[in-house]
Amino acid sequence: MTLRFPFPVRSPLRPDLASSLHRRLSIPSRSSSSPTPLLSSDHRPPLFLRPPAFAASRTDLHDFRRWAESLALAAGPRLSASDGGPDAALLRRELAWLVEDATVAAASESGVGEELRLRVELEELYRLWRARIEERRPFQYIVGCEHWRDLVLVVKEGVLIPRPETEMVVDLVAEVEGFEKGLWADLGTGSGAIAVGIGRMLQEGGRVFATDLSPVALEVARLNVERYELKDKIELRRGSWFEPLRDVEGKLMGLLSNPPYIPSSHIPGLQAEVGQHEPKLALDGGEDGMDHLLHLCEGSASALKSGGFFAFETNGDEQSEFIVDLMSMKLGNFFHNIKMISDFAGIQRFVTGFRR
Amino acid sequence: MNFRGHCYGLVLRSFRYLPFPLPLWSQSMARALLRWASFTSLETSSRLPFIQLPRTLNPRATSLAFSSSSAAAASSNYIHLSDEQLMAQCDMDTFKSSGPGGQHRNKRESAVRLSHRPTGIVAQAVEERSQHKNRAMALTRLRILLALKVRKAIDLDGYTPPSELLQILPAKSTIRGKDVGPQIGPNNPKFALGMQALLDLIFAVEGSVSETAKMLGLSTGALSRLILSDDSLRVTVNELRTSKGMRPLR
Repeated sequence: MTLRFPFPVRSPLRPDLASSLHRRLSIPSRSSSSPTPLLSSDHRPPLFLRPPAFAASRTDLHDFRRWAESLALAAGPRLSASDGGPDAALLRRELAWLVEDATVAAASESGVGEELRLRVELEELYRLWRARIEERRPFQYIVGCEHWRDLVLVVKEGVLIPRPETEMVVDLVAEVEGFEKGLWADLGTGSGAIAVGIGRMLQEGGRVFATDLSPVALEVARLNVERYELKDKIELRRGSWFEPLRDVEGKLMGLLSNPPYIPSSHIPGLQAEVGQHEPKLALDGGEDGMDHLLHLCEGSASALKSGGFFAFETNGDEQSEFIVDLMSMKLGNFFHNIKMISDFAGIQRFVTGFRR
Repeated sequence: MNFRGHCYGLVLRSFRYLPFPLPLWSQSMARALLRWASFTSLETSSRLPFIQLPRTLNPRATSLAFSSSSAAAASSNYIHLSDEQLMAQCDMDTFKSSGPGGQHRNKRESAVRLSHRPTGIVAQAVEERSQHKNRAMALTRLRILLALKVRKAIDLDGYTPPSELLQILPAKSTIRGKDVGPQIGPNNPKFALGMQALLDLIFAVEGSVSETAKMLGLSTGALSRLILSDDSLRVTVNELRTSKGMRPLR
């Protein structure tokens, strides 16, 4: 597919960027195992937090929308048919959100024909949308954030984008008696979504330890913790699963995790946004997808205090059944009240239970 | 939020929401509802039951419609329920599975659909950026749909408008006391409550704007302006009027 700007680009790409963009586009994308961050955007704050330092006319933005929309309409059916990627309707919603993040809300109230203030150059909006369609770069990496529950979380390449169904983990915790004052752990916190969601509900004495092996994840989680002013409630620790939690072993009121659970063999078949752009570390759960889940189950017995609660997200159905079986039979001396909980798509997505 | 009657994301699935005996106006109302349904769901409208009473309907309910203490009357006041109570009456689902799992479950889907079990009314939301917010939006839409679709029979003799109706009336209404407070407009979430009570009255007088206006201490023009201020209210009133052979308001 050839994509062209509908008008002469006033400030063309620097030649070095243009050639690197071209090189990247011409590589068959399946072969790139870890995507190179697009242009220079990687170290910049998310779109919605940048100062509105640029301007464009209403007509210019209108032209961009029309161009981007026609791209979405042309590409949507192909993307959704090829690997379950976004359809045209979703792409159009994403386009509206991109414009929402790139513009200043108040400006939309001003009269026709006025200049709009933008948080990126208009030309970059074109480049970003091309990357969305051509490279299948996830929308959330393009705008640098994901809306999750009532939070707006910073995300970037190298960190798993929090999923809508994971929102429910926060509701599950809120049902646990006395959760507000307990010690919690979010293992493999990624962007810090679960930790921030829980941290906001905690009271005096309540605390979340959020761990991750990835330094990039911890850096992003730190941003989110700071943005929501939860530094006194959430402690970030680097390390693998229970390793950084030795000092609180047996004292935790709850363990939460959305670990990598996709069977290795499924990774190549994932939609391009996920398989080619999101970190393998956060996706790949080994041969049957349960390597990390099993480790979490076994470690929970010593990590949780008596009466403590756990909630783990799984790949669904079979994995959840296996874990329920494991926790209630083989580890039945340690745990009770093991349950599977469906997400809103009807998949048995979570396993919860209590330490005896 | 100014709800638009024709906006996408709203589907009417069945008509099991009249937990009381059908008054005289019910047949024309049902026709109006069917017409409403026909442009939201062309495919199913011809197969819809005319009016289907809930299976749980108590045979004694024939005498309960005007009794505020009865379960039947309470169930027609769905929009007075809290968010939690209303959610408890709903089935919630997404359209597709999400999560980064295998091919069939790797779809990120934050869209939400709420199916209100007692009435069969379905409200959905896709445009918000998180599932959490889509759920809140779908619930707001459900409240508006309930206000538009669930009718309560009222006794016109000795009718006194409830306070939520008084609140949406313009200040010049002669029956609106000074203690009612400022007028609530269509963008206020409380507008749905007043709208429901207003529709109950308009349906009870079979679509007559002048008669309704008289009962609310307003001129016909002032009431028309109120009806026209909200798209979904206007559409509902006009469907009733058209079904009665009256000219639609414009």
